[in-house]
Amino acid sequence: MIVTNIETVPGKSIVEFYGLVTGNTVRAKHVGRDIMAGLKNIVGGELRGYTELLNESRQEATNRMVEQARSMGANAIVNVRFATSSVAQGAAELFAYGTAVKVQ
Amino acid sequence: MRFEPRAPREGINVSREHPLREAGVLVAGLAGVLVLIGIAVTLGMDLAVGLIPPELESRAFGAFAAGESRVEDDTAKGVAAAQRVLDALARHWPDAPYAFRLHLLAEDSPNAAALPGGRVLVTRGLLEAVESENELAFVLGHELGHFHGRHHLRRLGRQAVYGLALAALLGRSGGARPLGSIAAELTSRGFDRGQEREADAFGLRLVGAEYGHAAGSTAFFERLDPPGGPALEGVVAYFSTHPGGRERIAEIERLAAAEGLSTTGAPTEPAPR
Amino acid sequence: MDTLVSLGLTLLLLAATYFIGTAVERKHQADIERREARNRRIPVTTFETVPDDWKIARSGLVSGSVVVSVDYFKRFLAGLRGIFGGPIRSYEPLLDRARREAVLRMIEAARAKGYDAIVNVRLETSRLASSRQDGKGIAGVEMLAFGTAVRRGR
Repeated sequence: MIVTNIETVPGKSIVEFYGLVTGNTVRAKHVGRDIMAGLKNIVGGELRGYTELLNESRQEATNRMVEQARSMGANAIVNVRFATSSVAQGAAELFAYGTAVKVQ
Repeated sequence: MRFEPRAPREGINVSREHPLREAGVLVAGLAGVLVLIGIAVTLGMDLAVGLIPPELESRAFGAFAAGESRVEDDTAKGVAAAQRVLDALARHWPDAPYAFRLHLLAEDSPNAAALPGGRVLVTRGLLEAVESENELAFVLGHELGHFHGRHHLRRLGRQAVYGLALAALLGRSGGARPLGSIAAELTSRGFDRGQEREADAFGLRLVGAEYGHAAGSTAFFERLDPPGGPALEGVVAYFSTHPGGRERIAEIERLAAAEGLSTTGAPTEPAPR
Repeated sequence: MDTLVSLGLTLLLLAATYFIGTAVERKHQADIERREARNRRIPVTTFETVPDDWKIARSGLVSGSVVVSVDYFKRFLAGLRGIFGGPIRSYEPLLDRARREAVLRMIEAARAKGYDAIVNVRLETSRLASSRQDGKGIAGVEMLAFGTAVRRGR
């Protein structure tokens, strides 16, 4: 599955397009990360725990989007966008969306 | 390019796990964590009381002295006699860290309390309700048991640490808050009950050492809580701070039997007045 | 005694909101699937421009939004997850339905205005701020979908 965030897949042309595909996850951090973050708030620096958490979430969301496209018979997703938001205290929702197409 | 309407398969963005199963797993996990914290707190308190000497404890708690304003005339007759009973019992605890002093509270409902620093409070209602010296001795011995077990310090430490742990765990998650307060309530009930039982056991030992038997120890409670049910409203005050009647009586008799003390027979002396 | 009462009430509330929430969810899901089937012929894409072979008669911005509230059982589960970490599975069906509902409303708004395709669709999520710090108060999630709708000439 080819995934791009531009209008087309470079070097190929789109022959059919099917529609919107989305993938999302909602993840919460555990108290350990919370406490570490609280400490880091004092000294500053990268919140490694959160970075890992959000990377995992992004990967999961992308996988779900790809699975949706695959179930539609597409072989590429173009014009992909990501969005992050907070839906509950201490939890972040991550979703990815794009257009499922067939390229040749 | 051509548009071909197609739909993705259902259920890709949702998990297949049943929410009730997830709830069960998470609640069990939380219960497990709370149990572990409870154990850690108990062990920690055992360590802490070893490190904190009683003098420090009484000085720290002295700042929160309560009930001084309600203390009645300490030179009343009943008080001197009760103090003698207290001293007699304390003699069987040679390395007691304090000299214990009895104070009288001007209240009609029978109650007794131990305050840090070696102060034992009894109400006028208690002195009038006991009918033999043995009954009074057991009540006083129970309060001495609280000092022996460092119960004030343990309780304070336990409440502080457990409260902190619970706040850290559940602080942000508004949804699970009721679980936390229920857990805190249940564990503190359990701890308090354990402490009362320890105090009973120690009191029994002192009474046995002083009188050679434990007769009369339960008579007071039997009167407060007759098989038909408690009669007086005054008992509510007692039972809100001490464990309930029938169960406690049975437990005391069991402890006495284990120590080889008889709980029947004539009590030693009429109550000091 | 009062601990037992409050425990019992909490369990009762959880059970009630679980059953009611599940019923509401199922009804909404069926409704969404029906409307999606009806609107399947409208192309909805994230292309930034219209395909070259389309002749556009007119175009305009369309949007659809919905605010969904989270029931007590879901919030309770989310709270527990907040301790141990991991995916908050109780929220997933909710957010999925909310997003599909927002997109459907956008499509229906476009059709009502006479358009027949939508490009450059964007999706936004935001949380309704709880009015109180302790997590009580309205807990809701808003989903917004907007894009440029076009009418293709013949």
